[in-house]
Amino acid sequence: MTLAIVPVGGVVASLIQLVLVALGGPLLVGLMAKVKARAEGRVGAPIGQPLRDLRKLLTKERLHARHASVVLALAPMVIVASAVVAVAISPLVSTHPLLGSSADILVIVYLLLTGSAAAALGGLDTGTAFGGMGSSRAMTIGALAEPALLVAVIALSIQSGTSNLPRIMVDTLAHPDWVLAPSRLLALGALLIVVIAETGRIPVDNPATHLELTMVHEAMILEYAGPELAMVTLGEAMRLGLLFSLVANLFLPWGIATHATALSLLGATASLIAKTVLVALGVALIEVRSAKLRLFRLPELLAGGFVLSVLAVVTGLVTR
Amino acid sequence: MSTTYIASLELASGAVLLSAVMTLWRRGVRSIVTMLSLQGIALAAVAMVLALHEHERALLVTGALVFVVKGLVVPTLLRRVSRLDPRSRESRPLVNVPASLVFAAVLIVLAYVVGTRITSLAPSHATHLAPLGLATVLVGYFMLVTRRRAVSKIVGLILVDNGIALVTFLLTSGVPLIVELGSSLDVLLVVVVLQFLMVSMRHHSDTDQLTEMKALHD
Amino acid sequence: MLIIAILLIPLIMTVVAASVPWRPWVGWATAASSGAFLALGVALSVATMSAPQWALHHSFRADSLSAFMVIVIGAVSLLATSFTSRTMRQEMESGATTARYARHYAVLMQVFITCMLSAVLTANLGVLWVSIEATTIATTFLVSHRRTDAAFEASWKYVILCSIGIALAFLGTVLIYYAQLHASGPVHSSSLDWTSVMSVAHHLDPNVTRLAFALLVVGYGTKVGLVPMHSWLPDAHSQAPAPVSALMSGVLLSVAFYGLLRFRAIAVAALGPVFPRALLLVVGLVSLLLATVMLIAQRDLKRMLAYSSIEHMGLLAIGAAVGSPLAIAAVLLHILGHGITKAVLFLSSGEIYHLEGSTEIDKISGLLARRPTLAGIFGFGVLSLVALPPFSLFVSELTMARAEVDAGLWWVVAISLGCLSVIFAAVTRHTRQMLMGAASVGSSSSPLSVSVALPLISALVACVALGVLAWPLQSLLTHAAQGVLP
Repeated sequence: MTLAIVPVGGVVASLIQLVLVALGGPLLVGLMAKVKARAEGRVGAPIGQPLRDLRKLLTKERLHARHASVVLALAPMVIVASAVVAVAISPLVSTHPLLGSSADILVIVYLLLTGSAAAALGGLDTGTAFGGMGSSRAMTIGALAEPALLVAVIALSIQSGTSNLPRIMVDTLAHPDWVLAPSRLLALGALLIVVIAETGRIPVDNPATHLELTMVHEAMILEYAGPELAMVTLGEAMRLGLLFSLVANLFLPWGIATHATALSLLGATASLIAKTVLVALGVALIEVRSAKLRLFRLPELLAGGFVLSVLAVVTGLVTR
Repeated sequence: MSTTYIASLELASGAVLLSAVMTLWRRGVRSIVTMLSLQGIALAAVAMVLALHEHERALLVTGALVFVVKGLVVPTLLRRVSRLDPRSRESRPLVNVPASLVFAAVLIVLAYVVGTRITSLAPSHATHLAPLGLATVLVGYFMLVTRRRAVSKIVGLILVDNGIALVTFLLTSGVPLIVELGSSLDVLLVVVVLQFLMVSMRHHSDTDQLTEMKALHD
Repeated sequence: MLIIAILLIPLIMTVVAASVPWRPWVGWATAASSGAFLALGVALSVATMSAPQWALHHSFRADSLSAFMVIVIGAVSLLATSFTSRTMRQEMESGATTARYARHYAVLMQVFITCMLSAVLTANLGVLWVSIEATTIATTFLVSHRRTDAAFEASWKYVILCSIGIALAFLGTVLIYYAQLHASGPVHSSSLDWTSVMSVAHHLDPNVTRLAFALLVVGYGTKVGLVPMHSWLPDAHSQAPAPVSALMSGVLLSVAFYGLLRFRAIAVAALGPVFPRALLLVVGLVSLLLATVMLIAQRDLKRMLAYSSIEHMGLLAIGAAVGSPLAIAAVLLHILGHGITKAVLFLSSGEIYHLEGSTEIDKISGLLARRPTLAGIFGFGVLSLVALPPFSLFVSELTMARAEVDAGLWWVVAISLGCLSVIFAAVTRHTRQMLMGAASVGSSSSPLSVSVALPLISALVACVALGVLAWPLQSLLTHAAQGVLP
């Protein structure tokens, strides 16, 4: 008894994904902070702390700088909205989410980039030194990461001949050996580097610092307070959740629901949580083991990601 | 044509090129030598996989030889050299690391373009992978040209040689054994000779930054 | 049998030199062994006139070309090894070397010669590669024999550059093998054996062969001293002891060129004449031009001789590019004439270095007044090098020019003649600077011993003889040229 062609299944799947990512994103952030704290011998805040922070922030009043324009107020909404759309159409628990046919990798990438651009504009809007510095650094990193990301996308689309994410998932399920193909592994390496850069983790950016010289993302959102800060933080957490679960699904697609039955959706939800937690633990371990790179060493890392993705494309082409 | 054969061949060949890129990426001599060692082992794996698939006993011998020479002996020699050298980092490459990585990407694409013209002669799973070997050769050359330290030059030379060996295995399942023996021993000898020269030069003038070698010119 | 004997003589000599401590008689014994395999080489050339000779289950094969190359190697190493004892004695007296390193020197010279012989006598193109690469390793320590900073630097550059170059040549060889495995010919062959490659040469895949030949030209070209990978040559030749420079410049370059000649035959068969000719013409002409420029303002005697080697190798490449039977025969004669002349010049420059303590052209003057015999030998050697009429290089260059005109390559003749006249002017000017002029004060003048003068003078006489009456060689040269024509 299948509902795959009935859009109701897609709507349900997308709703599940939205709830999962909106709650799970902040939890992942909390989880990684906890892992790092434990590795450093501290007890650390409880995993649910980011969620509590969000709730606290939502109750506070809105505060704007005197010279702020409408951009400052719009940016958080754009960040959250773009993340919501991207999460809704991505194949996270089901290969047939709402509007799955338009869930091209490029579409998702550019939805997320829209959010980044909005955050940068918001940082620039008040005209303070920190906001501008953070925005410019974040945009530099983004610009450096973008070539690697695009080429990695090409590499991923070589095997199944399409860049439509749900189709790639379905094809990968049909050809399990693709996962171990060198092209896929190299693309994974490149994507991991890009994801670390885009979500602002160590060694690219330190999410826990408020030191002027080193902070990137924290500097950019320094001017936000109250519910708007909550929206920005939530948007960022959703981005992180989405990227992690996409990486998890691309390289371990098993468990994703191909039919919209209640049972398979439930199973898919459980497996998605497990896989994403695995990725988050991996990234947290990288964070524990490495020191933050100096800003001028970042191009080295991201150029490395770029070469990896070019390698992925070439090996994909020669092994096709 | 078993999938395990294809998958393992692809993985091992990809590992050879990946470790070549990693040597360009890393700065510490130690990690570079580790990469070389991994590359030698991956190369030996390529030979072994091909040998098992095509039932070529000579190639099996070659694979064992490659494993010993390029996976174990040469890295050990290099490690010993780098231990003599307290400054074990490539301090001032002629082209900085990000630029050389981007350049490596260009070289890899170039190798693909050139390589496909060669592989079209006898399309098979093995020959299709040959561009990876060509790319390794080019990356090795790039390393030789742009790195100043003596150890880095030796590493570049070994990369070139490993790339050529990969092309050899993939295109022809290995040249006649006598030639293969000759070329493997040759690498070993060249490394020994270079190591000796490096030690002698340090003994004489306490430098191995090759750009400071300026006694001979017109 | 002849082939085995030729290879065994230097091999046995290697063992002898390695097992006894250094004595001057070891040096004379190495000279005797060179003479012995030279004589066997002549016998081999007679034998190969009727049919190629084989040995050891077809591992070795000698046609007229191989026999001719054995003669070249024999002639030059006879000259070079007859200076072994003398050079070692001089160096030990001046404290530049010890008995231990003299022994190394004698052993490595023999290894070097053995490798060159096996390169020209092997039947297998892969073993040809292994042998030529082995010469690099043998000569490295000969280049660094003096153990000075400059000598170490020269041999470091030599190993690095030659290993890279020769690696390219290996890739080219592998690609030829790959093309051979998949050749759609009537005969299926699966080894790098010269005769079996040639039997399918017309059916090799043109794409693969084209890339392979380009790699081989750059690769073996490194060892030949052709642009763009020539830069090791002046350094190594200027730092090595004189007999080593003589051997390297006189034959090692030509042995690598021999490899190119073989592969050119394969490439012409597979691709037609246009591509190989264009490639060889480009590297040949650029080498010639570069040598011309570098010779004009050269300040060092041995570097001058080294750049002159690049010039002559460029001429050989141009000759091979033309590729007619006449041109190839002229190329072979040129190899012999250049080998002997260059050996004479390097050996006499070694004597000059011993006398003057320097090889800088500006610091040497008035040689003719102080050392008439040595200066005379050097002067006539230079005249031979710039190809004046009675010497054989004149004949070979003239013949190459004729072959170029026959092939319609007028412009090539024009460019090379222009370069050659500039080189003529430059080299004679440098030589005049050293030979003429006032003798510097206080320099001793003991006469040159007969054991030094005799080999050099007879070598120059041989050059004249080759130039005036090429008949003892004519049939051998044409027969040898046939071997590398498709």
